Amino acid sequence: MSSTIAIALAVARKDLRAEWRTRELVPALAQFVVLALVIANFGFQIDARNAPTIAPGVLWMALVFAGLVAFGRTFAAEREQSSLEAMLMTPASPVAIFAGKALGATLLLVGCEAVLLPALTLFFGTPLSFPIIATVLLATIGMAALGCLFAAMVARVRARELLLPLLTLPLWIPFIVAGGQAVQVAMGASGTYDQALALLIDFDILFVVLTSLAARFVLDE
Amino acid sequence: MSILVANGLTHWFGSQVALESVDLTIDTGEHMAVLGENGAGKTTLLRILATAARPTSGRLEIMGLDALRERRRLRRKIGFVAHAPGLYPALSAAENLEFFCTLQGVDRSRAAETLGEVGLSEVASRPAGQLSRGMQQRLAIARAILHDPKLLVLDEPDASLGSDGADLLAGVMRDRTVILATHDHALANRLCQRTLVLRHGRQVGTATRLHIVQ
Repeated sequence: MSSTIAIALAVARKDLRAEWRTRELVPALAQFVVLALVIANFGFQIDARNAPTIAPGVLWMALVFAGLVAFGRTFAAEREQSSLEAMLMTPASPVAIFAGKALGATLLLVGCEAVLLPALTLFFGTPLSFPIIATVLLATIGMAALGCLFAAMVARVRARELLLPLLTLPLWIPFIVAGGQAVQVAMGASGTYDQALALLIDFDILFVVLTSLAARFVLDE
Repeated sequence: MSILVANGLTHWFGSQVALESVDLTIDTGEHMAVLGENGAGKTTLLRILATAARPTSGRLEIMGLDALRERRRLRRKIGFVAHAPGLYPALSAAENLEFFCTLQGVDRSRAAETLGEVGLSEVASRPAGQLSRGMQQRLAIARAILHDPKLLVLDEPDASLGSDGADLLAGVMRDRTVILATHDHALANRLCQRTLVLRHGRQVGTATRLHIVQ
């Protein structure tokens, strides 16, 4: 168990170190989410009354597309460099490798969220509160697990950029529905925050367990 | 004593046969070269023998274990240098090896030792992406021997190693069982006791050292 954690942490650390040195993904994703907010700001007539209803939708749209890019790159880069095979040729558990890749991608997306959430407050005048941050972080965990699993599956396919959204988006819908509801309530709309958050936690547990079980078969060709 | 026994190894890519009924026995400590033109099936055979790929049919036993079922156990004992170096260009040479030390479950100090063995100590802190192709190949070889494997599978490792490449390979191959794919017949004769020749995925012959391969 300890070696599994050590390997997962080593894989995540390696990905974050490579990103820190190349700055390939996070700056581009941060620019993308800010641009998405700018476009939404011009596209909708936003005032204090409708902001809690519209802003969550814009938040999840930006997050979903940023996530698709971030998770898609996690395994595509490994395949392009032929380094995934080198990792799999070690006795390290494929589950540990997968967990490390997912953890690294999650942290990169959290970096984008650190830009997205304050920018949302700036453009839409919505509050930036702990419940909103907690909701987004919880949704990111489950979305990362699913996104990375499908990214690993399609990495060896030529049309991976097309296939990844087709496979991933339908399974992200529960996170978007529950997360959207929780953020709406946290921004002042009516509804129950705790119920939506509990649903997010349930989805997280379900999909993290399922993807961990499936990772072995996906990675170990 | 045999370290590797393969029977009827066959591999299909779609409707095309890449490897057809290859039988092979390799003794402990033996160095065997695999020769053949491009597309002869060398890489496919080596990937199967290194447990990186599964054959469509056939049996493979390595160190007494069923190589198709016990792949993870065997990977502790097999070192593989693939066609592409498979390095992380943003990480330094030392960081690349230290990362693989963690994955192999060996002490990180092995990274510095192994870099010395392949003559890369001076560029240990240089990003792998900035190393020459030959140095990257040396780094890939260093990664393959990090865990001191008993069986070494080398797919054209001499491709860009330079003039002292044969000496480096001879050092790395010492005291190990080695399967080496190459186009260089002279190198095969110098480093290996036996040669397997493939053509269109078929085993067309074997020869011992100094035999001229027709």
